[in-house]
Amino acid sequence: MSPILQLRGLQRRVGSTEILRGIDLDVMPGEVIGVIGPSGSGKSSLLRCIAGLDEIAGGSVQVEGRATQPGDGAIGMVFQQFNLWPHLSARDNVSLALRLVRKMPAAAAAEKAEAALAQVGLGALAARKPAALSGGQQQRVAIARSLAMEPRVLLFDEPTAALDPELTTEVLDVIRNLAASGTTMLVVSHEMGFVAGLAHRVVFLDHGQMVQTGTPQVIFSEAAEPRIRSFLQTYLSRVAWVQG
Amino acid sequence: MMQALQDSLVATAQGLPVTLAIWIAAVLLGMAGGFVVGALRFFSPWPLALPLSVAVEAVRGTPFLVQCFLLYFGGPFIGIDLAPLTAGLLALSVYGAAYFSEVFRAGFMAVPPGQLEVARMLGLSRFQAVLRIMLPVMALGVLPSLANLCVILIKETAVLSIITVPELTFRVQGVGTATFAFAETMLVLALVYWALAELTAWGARAAERRIERALAA
Repeated sequence: MSPILQLRGLQRRVGSTEILRGIDLDVMPGEVIGVIGPSGSGKSSLLRCIAGLDEIAGGSVQVEGRATQPGDGAIGMVFQQFNLWPHLSARDNVSLALRLVRKMPAAAAAEKAEAALAQVGLGALAARKPAALSGGQQQRVAIARSLAMEPRVLLFDEPTAALDPELTTEVLDVIRNLAASGTTMLVVSHEMGFVAGLAHRVVFLDHGQMVQTGTPQVIFSEAAEPRIRSFLQTYLSRVAWVQG
Repeated sequence: MMQALQDSLVATAQGLPVTLAIWIAAVLLGMAGGFVVGALRFFSPWPLALPLSVAVEAVRGTPFLVQCFLLYFGGPFIGIDLAPLTAGLLALSVYGAAYFSEVFRAGFMAVPPGQLEVARMLGLSRFQAVLRIMLPVMALGVLPSLANLCVILIKETAVLSIITVPELTFRVQGVGTATFAFAETMLVLALVYWALAELTAWGARAAERRIERALAA
């Protein structure tokens, strides 16, 4: 089987700062990749470069052997800040691109949007505007909006970071269901337990480099790399402090 | 004094339609012009944006009174000889456009970039993103500022009395001059402007509430 997403020597530079220093990664169809690492390690930049939103300084991104660009439908992205369009109902947020880009008739687009909303458990709230939805519901609409375009690869950039803890579960459940249904995805998250339980493979980034990649078991339990150990320890001590 | 008050009310009835007509026309022209200027300043490369920003700054940096004088009394020296009403409408529209353009430009800037990035990821063209996302989102954000400017412009119409536009202030001032009841006539004037400003603000608040309700549905 050939990889669905292929990164080769991916570099990003801002001025003289190296943000990504040559990332190589093959993602197989249906694979779920968890991306972890300290703040500023380049996790979000990695996703934005894959999406084509940030310019790359070198290397290549290919989906099914072809270079991609934003809007060609190969890649979908879900952002930390939902980015729903506030003047449109949940249904219209999802159906707008179906109508304008895929040229679907309005009725068919609305039907497909409602199916996508039902898939994230929001079938009953399709008529609501974003302001009348909770943060978790808004993020689920954003996921449905990406899903409806049927991207080959779905990117999640800290999808629960802007949510209250009690609202993260519903979003994580939706992502889990997508993973179970075979959606290929890269997930940047600080929810370590979630990443450990969800990902087939975990990528640890630090200073724009892929320090190590392996199964969750390898990264979370067996990694000898000191940077990974210290990152996980910092994370665990924070959690332990919260848990009292 | 009763006579002065009575005359003031008559003068108000005569001047009010002129004030309202100039105000509404200047709001419409100023908003249209301001939208174009604001959009050009936001979307254009600097060689076009820079002269526009200099023009806006010139209008915003000089008193409206001085602008009226310059246009009405200075205009004829360069071949622009306008009737008071035309000069007044032009001056107020340009003045309004300068401020409206800043509101619209700020509105464009306030649209969260992430909402446009999503549009790009989903394959919307730049034009579609501006039309379907940017303009509606901007419109919601700028509404209170637009309403505020409308209230300011209705008060600025009073300045046009100085170039003999027969509007509210010009008419009522005439009564004051004729009867020497300056304080009483000015009080009438103040109350009428206040009522107009309140009405405008009230209308704007109602519009805002409607939009908020529509958004929270």
